[in-house]
Formats: sequence, structure tokens, C-alpha cells
Amino acid sequence: MVDPIPASHQPRARSNLTRGWPFLPAGVVLLVLFLLPMTVMVAFSLWRTNSDLDVVPDWTLDNYIYFFSEGTYVRTFLKTLIMAAAVTAAGIATALPFAYFLVRYVGQRWQRIVLLAVIVPFWTSYLLRAYAWQAILGEKGALNQFLMGIGLIDEPSRLFVYNDLSVWLVLLYVYFPFAALALYTALEKFDFNQLNAAQDLGARPDQAFRRILLPQIRPGVITACIFVFVPILGEFLTPTLVGGAQGALIANLIINFFRGLQYTTMAAFSFVIAGFVIVVLVIFRRYLRVEDVVARG
Amino acid sequence: MAEGIDPLELMPVSRMARPLRALLRGWAGVVLGFLYLPIAFMVLFSFGESRTPGLPFRGPTLHWYQEMLSNGVLMEAVWTSIQLAAVATTLSTLIGTMAAFPLVRSGFRSAGAARIVFTLPIMLPGALIGIALLIFFRRALGVDLSFWTVVMGHIVFTMPFVVLIVSARLQGFDRNLEWAAADLGASPARAMRHVVLPLIAPAIVAGALISVTLSIDEFVITFFTVGPQSTLPTYIYTQIKFGVTPEVNAVATVLLLGTVLLLGLAWAAAGQARRLSRIFGRRRARERIG
Repeated sequence: MVDPIPASHQPRARSNLTRGWPFLPAGVVLLVLFLLPMTVMVAFSLWRTNSDLDVVPDWTLDNYIYFFSEGTYVRTFLKTLIMAAAVTAAGIATALPFAYFLVRYVGQRWQRIVLLAVIVPFWTSYLLRAYAWQAILGEKGALNQFLMGIGLIDEPSRLFVYNDLSVWLVLLYVYFPFAALALYTALEKFDFNQLNAAQDLGARPDQAFRRILLPQIRPGVITACIFVFVPILGEFLTPTLVGGAQGALIANLIINFFRGLQYTTMAAFSFVIAGFVIVVLVIFRRYLRVEDVVARG
Repeated sequence: MAEGIDPLELMPVSRMARPLRALLRGWAGVVLGFLYLPIAFMVLFSFGESRTPGLPFRGPTLHWYQEMLSNGVLMEAVWTSIQLAAVATTLSTLIGTMAAFPLVRSGFRSAGAARIVFTLPIMLPGALIGIALLIFFRRALGVDLSFWTVVMGHIVFTMPFVVLIVSARLQGFDRNLEWAAADLGASPARAMRHVVLPLIAPAIVAGALISVTLSIDEFVITFFTVGPQSTLPTYIYTQIKFGVTPEVNAVATVLLLGTVLLLGLAWAAAGQARRLSRIFGRRRARERIG
């Protein structure tokens, strides 16, 4: 960085764009199309639905009490948390070696090509990509054909789809690129000579990895975790497509209440999720760099 | 790009280095296979004769591509998606870029808080935002859902991306350049047009590109805020629910091919531009000096 011009020498007349007004349209959009609707939802979550399915403005905590008193709902919520954690763990475990290989052993030019290859799936329909897994895991799917072909099973198995495992696999598939991009960005800044130096000084490779590399890429790892964990809390499409009856997550319940016009219950459930998301974001706000993940390639 | 060979890389640091590298290479292959397996099936079935995607594969045929072109509803959905992405991206790029300036430069003490507020629409589940907007439009405002309500729904989550990306670029911007321009007599508007905007243009373009990508494929918020029309993702969803035909596979394949081609072109153009600018840059510099 060049030394800044001392404040006394900076031009007094500031350009129009440095005043606050350019923020106005964005502020209005955020206020009217985001904060206001969310406030209405908060209000709904504290009101009640009468027998005619109308929303009545009687203030009450019943919707939240209903959520926590019903075993199925709490279990589904816990299951969603466990699912999100399991996908996050798998995402980091698969993406870290991948990104490490890319940064350490692949030349600049090929790095960009492989990165692009990781991003390209985003350019095709999310719905069709998730749906395509049915053609792989389903009863007439490729996996069954393959296993029957090599004689491992005699008849098609229904065990591969419409359960928690298939939801886990497809969620991993959908969110892997986020983890890979966040970790790549972090590793790219790391000076690998440090690893060599550590080993020269007598550290075992695993010690060098744990004590030199990991602490320096921690922000990237946290970003990756957030980018996989948080969206899964609101996932209802993948469970709908490959989860069947068994694979439902908390957001599926919200959609069901929405279809059943139980708006107040729905709003309360939504804010249980939203509260969780906001807490995660506030705790990790220092690490969260959205632009690092999305503005690559 | 020839980089100097790092002597440290040549030293066998550990006997494990070579097998580890082979292992990692294999793993990278597995990962890429995993990423492209479903896409391969999606493309494969677009050429299949059978109405329901499944193995064994029979074909290839271009039947579904013909069907796709003569399917009016599908084509209209594609057109709606394109219009939607264009309008939403234009608006959010404009609004978002404008907002980045005061956010970075006015020395907001609450810049961190502003960051969280702009991150929220990105990180909160789409279902939540969609439902909140639906209730807001229908119950609070009493307006009918239409093309414009979806546009608003899309701006809510695309604009923050533009804000964050352009802000990041502005943060690294050396303001001395702008002040130098002012010293040399440029009006603020002129300095903006000739100094600031060209330098942050890559970030604006990146923001717009991300906005288009997200908007074209967005299903959840669209589903809740769309009027009687359907977009490509909502059309695909209905197809999946009520019996999908390989026509949608054909559309997705065409879209994928189009994007890869576009990216390839952009890649080639960027390379070409770099070469040209190297040649012309030198010539221009010589002219200026001479």
C-alpha cells in the first residue's frame, strides 16, 4: 500500500457517491422486502390460527410450546441438526484432501480448470441434479444394475434410496462445492514451505499438518462448515426428491403446515430454524466471508 | 505460466510424499467422478428412447430435443426465466453496487452489523424468505402474485451478493488514485467514470454473473412468490412431481452446453485480451512517452 495522502491534503469536496444516499435503494429493498416480511412472520408466530384457519392477533407462546411439547417435532429438529452435522463432517473430510491436492500439486492453469469443473454443476438445474440420483440409486437404477451385473445381489435392492442415507449422500453432493471453494481459498494463501520447515525441524508430517497448517486455514474451515451446515437446516427439496417418508427434515414440516394453512404454527417452526441460523452467524461473523466462496473462478 | 521450480519441492521431505500424492490424485478423481456422475446420467437420458429414465439405455435419439422445441409451455417457462434473471440481475447489480460505496467509505461504525444484515438473506433458508414474502404480499399488502413479485423475491437474495463482492473490491481500492484524478481537475463524476468504475468492474461483473446463475436456477423463493406463470425450475418441479419426461433433461443439457460454451468463449477472450493488451499496452506506452 502507498502511504495515504494526509487528511489535511485530501480534497474537501467529497464526491456524491461517498454520501449516504446511494445506500437508500438497497436499504429500502432490505427493509421492505426482507425485514418487514420477517417481522410479519414473527408476529404470526406469536398469534394464533382459529378454527376457520384465519390468523387472529391474540398474543401467545402456544405455537412455540406446541413445537417443544411434541416429540416428533423435536426429534425431527434434532435429526436435522445431526444430518447437517454429518454432511458437514463428510464435506470437510472429502473437500480438504481435494483442495490440498489442487493447491499443492496442480499447476496454476489446471487449478483454474478443475475449479471451474467444481463450479459448473451449479450452472445446471439443482432439481434435475438431485433427481438424477434416483436414476443411480433407484430400484431400476445404475447401482442396482451394476451390483446385479457383477453378481453381488440377485434382485434389485430398494435400500439405496428413500432413506436417511440417500438424503445424506445427495446433500453431500449438493453442498460439496461450497466446502471445496472455501477450503481452496484458505489453502491458496498458505505457504507450504512452512510444512517443509516444520519437518526439517523434526516435526512428523501429521504434527506439521495439525500444528502448522490447520491453525492457519481455520477461518476457511469455519466458512466451509457454515456454508454446508446452515443451508441444510432449511432443506426440503432433497428430502422430497430422494428421502421418501423416512427422510423428512424440519423444513418439510414447515412446508406441510404451510400447505395446511396453519400459518402461525408454520411461522413459529420457521423461527426456531431462523433463530438457530442467526446465532451461528453472529458467533462466527468474523470468519464468514461469503464473497470468498462465491466470487471464484 | 512457467513458475520457478522451488528447490524445497524437489527435496524428498518424507518417504511418504510420493504415495501420498498418488493417493490424493486418485481421491481428486473420485471427487470429480462423484460430481459429474448425476450430470452424466442427466445428459444420457436426454438421448434415450424410453419415456421414464432408467437402465438399460436404449437410443440414442434426438426425439426429446424435438419435443422440447415444440413444447410451448416449456419454451415459455424458459423465456420467463431468462426475463426474470435479466430484470432481477440488472436491478440488484445497480442497487447493490451503489450501496457498496457508502458501506465501505462513510466509515459506518456499524459496518459489521451491516455485513450481517446483508449476509442474512443469503444464509437464511429460501423457504423462510419465500413464505415470509408470500404472506407479506398476499396478507399484508393484498397484492396478487405476478412476474414482479418474483422479481422482488429474487432481488432480496441476489442484491446482497453484489453488495458483498463489490464492497470487498472497494475495500482494497487505493483512494489516492481518485484523489490524484481530482487534483488533476477531474470532477467527481468524471473520476468515478474513468478511474473508479473501470477498476471495480471485475467485481461488478462477478456479482452480476453470480446473480444470473442463482436467479436462473432458483426454485424455492420463486415457488412461493410466482404468479400464474412458470419459470424453468418450477416447470421442472411440476414435471418431477407428475411424471418427468426426458424433455427437461434435454433443456438442462442444452443449458449446460450453452454455459460451458460461454465460459469457454470468455476464457479464450480473456486470454486473447491479455495477449492484445500486452502488445497494445507497450505500443500505447511508447506513444505516450514519445
